[in-house]
Amino acid sequence: MTSENSSSSIEDARRARLSDALLRTGQGDRSAFETLYRATSAKLFGVCLRIFPERHEAEEALQDAYLTIWSRAASFQPGRASPISWLVAVTRNRAIDRLRATGKATYAPIDEANEIVDTAPRADAMLFAASEDDQLHGCIQDLDGRDAHFIRSAFLGGATYLQLADAEAAPLATVKSRIRRALIKLRACMEGEA
Amino acid sequence: MTMLSEVDIALAGEYVLGLLDAAEQATAAARLATDSAFAAEVEAWRDRLSSMAGNTDISAPDYVWTKIDSALPAATGQDVGRGNLRLWQGLTAASLALAAYLGFLTANPSVVPIVETPAPLVAALGSDSGTAAITARYDTQNGELLITPVSLDTGELYPELWIIPADGKPRSLGMMAIGKPTLVAVTPEMRQYLAIGGTLAITPEPQNGGPDGSPTGAIIASGKITII
Repeated sequence: MTSENSSSSIEDARRARLSDALLRTGQGDRSAFETLYRATSAKLFGVCLRIFPERHEAEEALQDAYLTIWSRAASFQPGRASPISWLVAVTRNRAIDRLRATGKATYAPIDEANEIVDTAPRADAMLFAASEDDQLHGCIQDLDGRDAHFIRSAFLGGATYLQLADAEAAPLATVKSRIRRALIKLRACMEGEA
Repeated sequence: MTMLSEVDIALAGEYVLGLLDAAEQATAAARLATDSAFAAEVEAWRDRLSSMAGNTDISAPDYVWTKIDSALPAATGQDVGRGNLRLWQGLTAASLALAAYLGFLTANPSVVPIVETPAPLVAALGSDSGTAAITARYDTQNGELLITPVSLDTGELYPELWIIPADGKPRSLGMMAIGKPTLVAVTPEMRQYLAIGGTLAITPEPQNGGPDGSPTGAIIASGKITII
């Protein structure tokens, strides 16, 4: 109990430091921005490598992400978002934009023979599941394998409903309702309601 | 705060995953500004899914920071107003996104209004985060500027439109409507600034605009004026 409390207060302190660095970055404070970079770049480089397995592309995506963070920091609202989720979201969205702009946002259908597997089909995607924390991973494992694959492909590959439906040769409405149901189930699991 | 239906909860997840088409995505983005329960659910989805992208720490090589640092605007002294500093912070990254948006517009001709004679001036306003997209069309004959948001989120603030000509000084073109097109009747003295190479930009501001006619918010979308 004690150790749990102290680890959560360490986490709170870290969160407060990141919020502060982000807010000061939003005021144009370059040293706060460097502090923020030192504290978060390994995590965000992990995000970029998840989306761009080629190292040089991931480095460019990381550079792009931090320039975006620099310019967008003023819009960070500490009461509304956790700093790390905000940083990951900016980095992920920016990387997906790059992926789409270069025409690399693709979706590979699940190999029918291999349908039950929870890993994505692209070799570089095999690590997707490895990065998920235990709670998310456990809840995604509870979904139908195909739905789990859809969700990971959207988040990390930039696939849209249209691409998913095309690749699966399924009606758009069918794909949408499947994923909506899967999202409701995923949320219930993560909120401890299921 | 109202309770969200399952449809809305799923929509917030779809929005975070980027599954929606441009119009649906724009509608959801607009809703963030007015529906705090929906906005909170979007944040909750970001938290839930965050580890899918970022639970593995990998050190980036040192030269990445060197490049980032050198790409920042030159360190500024106290003589630069806070508004201007933020404005240029915004432009650094916003310009990076512009090429992508022009590509998007080319691929989606229905977004660009039909060309009439004489050719109007146009601009595609994009954001560094990729979450904002606005088209602008300026009729040089009658001085009417049509601004059409595809998506734009100003949070609890209101979008103000600026023209930044070659001298780099932002001049207000007035407030924009949220979630629908705005037709701006450009005043005769402002028309000189609406020319090829000028930049249109949007900042979030108080309801009646930035006090003393200067922007106070960071640029959330910008684009250079060009000709079709």
